[in-house]
Amino acid sequence: MFDILDAVLERARAKGASAVEVFAERSTSRRIKVYRQEVEQLTAAQRRGLGVRVFAGGAVGHAYTSDLSDGALDAVVQRAVDHAAVSDPDEFVALPEPAGAPADVHPFDERLTRATDERRIELALSVEAAALAADPRVKTVEDTMYADGDGEVFIASSAGVRGSYRANQCYAFAYVLAEEDGQVETGYSYSVGRALEELDPAACGREAAERACRLLGARKCPSMKAPVVLDPFVSAAFFGVLSAALTADAVQKGRSLFAGREGRQVAGESLELVDDGTLADGLDSAPFDGEGTPCRRTPLISGGVLQGFLYDTYTGRKAGRGSTGNGLRGSYSGLPGVHPTNLVVSGPATPLADIVAGLERGLLVTDAVGVHSGANPISGEFSVGISGVLIEGGVLTTPVHEVTLAGDIISMLTNVRALGDDARWVPGGSILTPSVVIDGMAIGGT
Amino acid sequence: MDVAAFDVGLLQATIARALRRGGDFAEVFVEDRDSLGLRLEDGRVEQTSGGREVGAAVRLLSGEHTYYAYSDALDEAGMTAAADAVAAAVRVGGGSAVVDLGLVRSDPGRHAVIVPPETVAIVRKAQLVRAGDEAARAAGAEVAQVIVGYGDTRQKVLIANSLGDLVYDDRTRTRFTAHVVARRGDVIQTGHETVGGSAGFELLGESTARAVATTAAQKALVMLDSRPAPVGAMPVVMANGFGGTLFHEACGHGLEADAIAKGASIYAGKMGEVVAAPIVSAFDDGALPNGWGSQAFDDEGVPTQKTLVIEDGRLTGYLYDRLRAREAGAAPTGNGRRQSFRHVPIPRMTTTYIAPGNASADDIIAATPRGFYAKSLAGGQVEPASGNFVFGVAEGYLIENGRLTTPLRGATLVGNGIDILMRIDMIAADFDVKTGVCGKDGQGVPVGTGQATLRIAEMTVGGTG
Repeated sequence: MFDILDAVLERARAKGASAVEVFAERSTSRRIKVYRQEVEQLTAAQRRGLGVRVFAGGAVGHAYTSDLSDGALDAVVQRAVDHAAVSDPDEFVALPEPAGAPADVHPFDERLTRATDERRIELALSVEAAALAADPRVKTVEDTMYADGDGEVFIASSAGVRGSYRANQCYAFAYVLAEEDGQVETGYSYSVGRALEELDPAACGREAAERACRLLGARKCPSMKAPVVLDPFVSAAFFGVLSAALTADAVQKGRSLFAGREGRQVAGESLELVDDGTLADGLDSAPFDGEGTPCRRTPLISGGVLQGFLYDTYTGRKAGRGSTGNGLRGSYSGLPGVHPTNLVVSGPATPLADIVAGLERGLLVTDAVGVHSGANPISGEFSVGISGVLIEGGVLTTPVHEVTLAGDIISMLTNVRALGDDARWVPGGSILTPSVVIDGMAIGGT
Repeated sequence: MDVAAFDVGLLQATIARALRRGGDFAEVFVEDRDSLGLRLEDGRVEQTSGGREVGAAVRLLSGEHTYYAYSDALDEAGMTAAADAVAAAVRVGGGSAVVDLGLVRSDPGRHAVIVPPETVAIVRKAQLVRAGDEAARAAGAEVAQVIVGYGDTRQKVLIANSLGDLVYDDRTRTRFTAHVVARRGDVIQTGHETVGGSAGFELLGESTARAVATTAAQKALVMLDSRPAPVGAMPVVMANGFGGTLFHEACGHGLEADAIAKGASIYAGKMGEVVAAPIVSAFDDGALPNGWGSQAFDDEGVPTQKTLVIEDGRLTGYLYDRLRAREAGAAPTGNGRRQSFRHVPIPRMTTTYIAPGNASADDIIAATPRGFYAKSLAGGQVEPASGNFVFGVAEGYLIENGRLTTPLRGATLVGNGIDILMRIDMIAADFDVKTGVCGKDGQGVPVGTGQATLRIAEMTVGGTG
C-alpha cells in the first residue's frame, strides 16, 4: 500500500503541490443478524480507498477515491488541488509535522483472524437464545447482531509523517421486546472485544431481556425534582453528547458551553473524565490518530475542575499548542476532525446497592430517548424522554416510562453526587462509565 | 468506468455464480457516486472536500435469509469474489434458473436536472455559501456564528437481478443548509434551515441561499427572547414543513414493512383499522417531482410510487422492499433503499406526509385558548414497537388567548404515535415539505417530511420551566 501512497505524493509534487498528506485504509468486515434462531442476514465486505489533503497558501483541499488505478490517482490529486484553490486561507492551516513515536498500543488480536462464519453464527444464535430463555415475557428479539472488522490504516506525507497499523474488534448486540398485558417495553445490551473468546453472548442476551422486562407495567410518575441514578448506558449517552463541547473545535468556534471555564469547577468534586487513546481494552485505541499524531491520555475534568480540551493539529496551532492526538477520521473519505477516542468516567466508587439504599425518593434511569436530539451541546440545555424504575425508601419499586428528564449540562455535572461500582464499556463512542448519581433533576410526568 | 455501459455479460455471469449453490433471488448493484461538499464556518470556506466512490454489491436471498457481499473492485475478480462469498454462505441446496437480462430500463428526466452541478465551477458554489454567511450575519448583531453548507451528489446505479430486471438510474441531488448561533450574554440559541432536491444547480440561486440563511438566523434570534417551556399536557399546534418530522418518526417508521414483519410496530396487524382521526390521510411519495427523497427507481430497481398509507384515519398501506413484499405476498412499493453499495436495502420512507386540510393556520391558532406552538423540530427518536417518541423543539411559542406570545426554549414533545394521530383535530391547507437525512440501521438516506399546520388536541410538553 505504501507504494500507492508514495505514487500519490509524487503526482502531487509534479502538480506543484508541496505539502501533501495521503491517508489510506483497507479492511474486511462481517456482520451477521439472526432472527428466531435462523441467519437473517450475513454481510461480507471488503473496503479500501484513500484520501488526499493538499495544503497550499494556507488553504486546504481534500479529495478521496475508492478506485486506486493510475487514472483515478491522477484525478484525486487534481481534485484536492482544485478544492484547496477554492477554500479560504487561514494562518493556522498547515500540514501536520511528525510528532514522535506512535503510542505503544496494539489494537489487534490474532485470535479474531481465525474466526469462522460457523462460529460467528453460533455466537449470534446463542445471544438470541439467552434472551428468549431469560423470561417468558420476552416476545421477540427484534435485533440480534454479531459484527467484526479488521482494518489497516496507512498514512504518509511530504513532511515525513509515515505510519501504519492494523486494528480489529468484534461485538454482539441484542434488542429485546418484552410484552405483558398488551404493554411492550424494550431493552438492549452489548458485549464487545477483540476476539470471540472475549464476548459473553449469554450475558448479553440475558441482560437485554432483563432490561426490557423490568420496565413492564411502567406508568408515568408524578412530576418531581429528585435525585436520579443514570445507569452506564444512559450515562454514556450523556457523556457522549457533552464530549463534543470538550473539543477545541467547539471552543474556538463559540459552540462550547465549556469555553472560558478552564481551571474552574464544572462538575461535582468526585468526577474524573479522561480521554485515553492508549488503553489496551479501549475499542478506539490506536498508535496514532488520523493525522499521524501519537494517541495519548488527556485529562478533561479532574476533581470536578475543567483541565482542558481535545485538539487536532489545526486547533492546536490556533491555541498555540500541540495536538492531543484527537484528529480522527471516520474513514478515508472523511476529513480529520476533533473527536474523543475512549472516554473514561471515574471517581470514588460506591456499591450500587448502597446508592439505591441511600435514596429516600429517586429514579433509576435505564433508558433515555432523544439524548442526541433533545440535548443542545451549545447551550447545554436538554430535555429527554426516559424510562426507569422508581426508588422509594431506599428500594427499587415501580417502573416508569414516558416521562422527561430536563436540565442543563453544567448544573447536571455540578450535581453529580456519587459514582457506582459498575463501570463498563459502552460502544458507539467507546465510553467507560459507571452509574452516575445526580441530585435535584427535573422529572416531568403527570 | 461508466456504469451505464457496464458489461451486461459480467452481470449475468455474476448472478448465475451467486445462485449456483442455492438461493432463489440474486441481484447485483453497481454504483458510481461523485460528491462535493463545501462548508463555511467562522466566515471561511473551510476544507472543501469531494470524491468518487465506485463499487458493487451482490445480494442473494434464500427463503428469509439474506447474504450480502460488496467490494470496491468492479472488475471480474471483484465480482467473482463477491458472488463466491454469498454462494458459500447459502445453506439450502437447489438453486434457481437465471432469467436473461432484458434491455436496460431507465427513466431519464423523471426528476429533471436543468443545470448539472458538475458543469458549474466550484467557485460559484463557494459564492453561494459566502452569500449565505453574509445574509445570516446581516440579520442581527447578536448572530455569533454561521455555518453554511453546500452539497451536490451524482449517483449512477445499475441494478440487475435474477428476475431479469436491468435498471439504470442516474440521480443528481443538491442541497443547501444554514445553521446559525445567536448569543446574548450567557444565552445561546441556534436556528437551522435547509433546501434540497433531486435537481441540479438551478435549485439554488444566490437569492435562495440568502433566504435560507436569513430564516435560520431569524429562528436563532427570536429564541434569544425565549423563556423555559412549561411542563404538562396541553394542545399542541405543529407548524407546516418541519412539523412533518413528527409523523415521519412517530408513525412512518412503524409503517416500514421490516418492523411490521417482526411485529415490532404498533401498526402490525392493523390494516384497515382506525389508527388516526378521520380527518387524517397520509402518503409516502417516492415519485414526488424533484423531491429530495425522490428517485425514478428505488435501490432494488422498482419504480417509485405514491402510496396511500392512511385514508380518512384508516390504515391502508405499508412500505415494502422486495424481500418483505415477497414474504407478505404483497407488491413492492418502491421503498427498498440503501445508503450505498455498502448497505443492504431495507424498507425506507421517501417523502412522507400528512395530506393538507381546509383550515388556515391562523384559524387553528385562534381556536386555541392556551397551548404550545411547535414551529420547528430539532429531531427526535421513536421506539417503533411501542410507538413512544420524544422530540426536541428548536423553535416553539406559547399560545395564549388564540395568539402566539412568548418564544419557549428547551421543550420536548413526548407521546405515542397512535395517540397523537387520533387526537389531530384540525388540519390547515398550508402544505410544505422539508428535507432531511433519515438514519436507520446505520444507514442514512435523503428523505422529505411534510405536513400542513395541524393541531393535536392534547400532548405532553416536557420543559424546564
